[in-house]
Amino acid sequence: MKFFTPFRKKSPWVLHYNAGSCNGCDIEILAALGPKFDLERFGVINTGNPKQSDIFLVTGPVTYRSRERLVELYSQIPEPKVVVAVGSCTTTGGVFRGMYNVEDGIDRYIPVDVYVPGCASSPQLIIDALVKGLEILEAKSKAIEKPFKLFGAIEMIGNKLSRLGMATKVEQHEKN
Amino acid sequence: MIWVWIALAPILGGLAYGGERVLRARMQRRQGPPILQPFYDMFKLLDKRTLIVHAPHALLALAHFFVLWFSIAAIFLGWNLLYIIFLHLFAQILLILAGYSVRSVYSHLGSNRELLMVVAYEPILILVAVGLYLVSGSFEIAEILTRDHYLLQLPLLFIALVMIVPIKVKKSPFDVGEAHQEIVGGVEIEYSGVFYEFLYMSRFLEYIFIYSFVYLFGGESHWIGAVLVAGVFLLVNLVDNATARVRASHMVKIIYSVAMSLAVLNLLGILL
Repeated sequence: MKFFTPFRKKSPWVLHYNAGSCNGCDIEILAALGPKFDLERFGVINTGNPKQSDIFLVTGPVTYRSRERLVELYSQIPEPKVVVAVGSCTTTGGVFRGMYNVEDGIDRYIPVDVYVPGCASSPQLIIDALVKGLEILEAKSKAIEKPFKLFGAIEMIGNKLSRLGMATKVEQHEKN
Repeated sequence: MIWVWIALAPILGGLAYGGERVLRARMQRRQGPPILQPFYDMFKLLDKRTLIVHAPHALLALAHFFVLWFSIAAIFLGWNLLYIIFLHLFAQILLILAGYSVRSVYSHLGSNRELLMVVAYEPILILVAVGLYLVSGSFEIAEILTRDHYLLQLPLLFIALVMIVPIKVKKSPFDVGEAHQEIVGGVEIEYSGVFYEFLYMSRFLEYIFIYSFVYLFGGESHWIGAVLVAGVFLLVNLVDNATARVRASHMVKIIYSVAMSLAVLNLLGILL
């Protein structure tokens, strides 16, 4: 509804996922949530639960094992949602680019709204990225957003959309 | 007039919750969210898509909220204390059933822990009701609020009540039922959108429920009641910021050994 749309940017709840990061960016995210930078003054809560989140903070180049979790978590976040890629590895692959066991950034799998550079990206940059993400979140519609690559399938049961089998199947697939 | 207060009960609880978030932030030297933050959260949840696991699971959250609201209404109307405690227990059981009705492991763990919490705090609540009855001669809240000097005769029972307040409002050291770092919210993990909002609002109502028990110890003097509520509110938040979570079994042991013996001692002192 139109009346409730301005409140999206007043209470962004964050889901933080580590897709094989070295923990540098995760520490910076936690620093941004901590007392010094205090992200909670914007209403940010680190929920840890995809079904109640608005903003998806991903760190790390996507490793082979973390792909299907990434897609599953993304598909479990109800729309409207925003993806923020935190750190060089997440945006481009960083120092791991071209290695056999990583996927050179998350934008091969899910649509990314805000890229944050830096190794590790500073808390100030993360706060800026979240504020930028809030503008995008407010402008978004509630249309269903799909990941670029699915490991399962989105099915319709009756006239309801089922996300149950979205990321269940893991197949051997070639790197592109 | 009283019906207006009953209708506004979730909003009052929301203000208490928002104030508490600001208070906790100030205790940690943070700025903290605005005091209306819970309402922003609620409006935002209305604007999200809702994912439903199955219909009874979603409806049990609604039922939990409305039964809880009804027990708050019974408190405001001054009904029987035992009746209110059992209505509240019924609301909790609806929530526990909701947790068991989905396949998520975390939801089951959350339900187990909610059950342990009920096991821990329910005897103390009943003993509080019995203590108030022994002093005032009635279980009716309207009657209880016409007498005085509860705190002088029931000091140990009041300490027992203060010990179970953190269980009810889910604060450290007794926040095992929610435990975001371990079981990601427990029972509420599979809820989203509008239905999560009902669980979010029922948390506000829990605040009003347990703090109204604290208020009863003030007796006919509204000032003593208000001071007690404010003091316990500060104390609970201070303890929440200063302690870590105990295990669920330890929580039951602590409550049964310390709070229960304090309450029983006090009751024996009055009876003998």
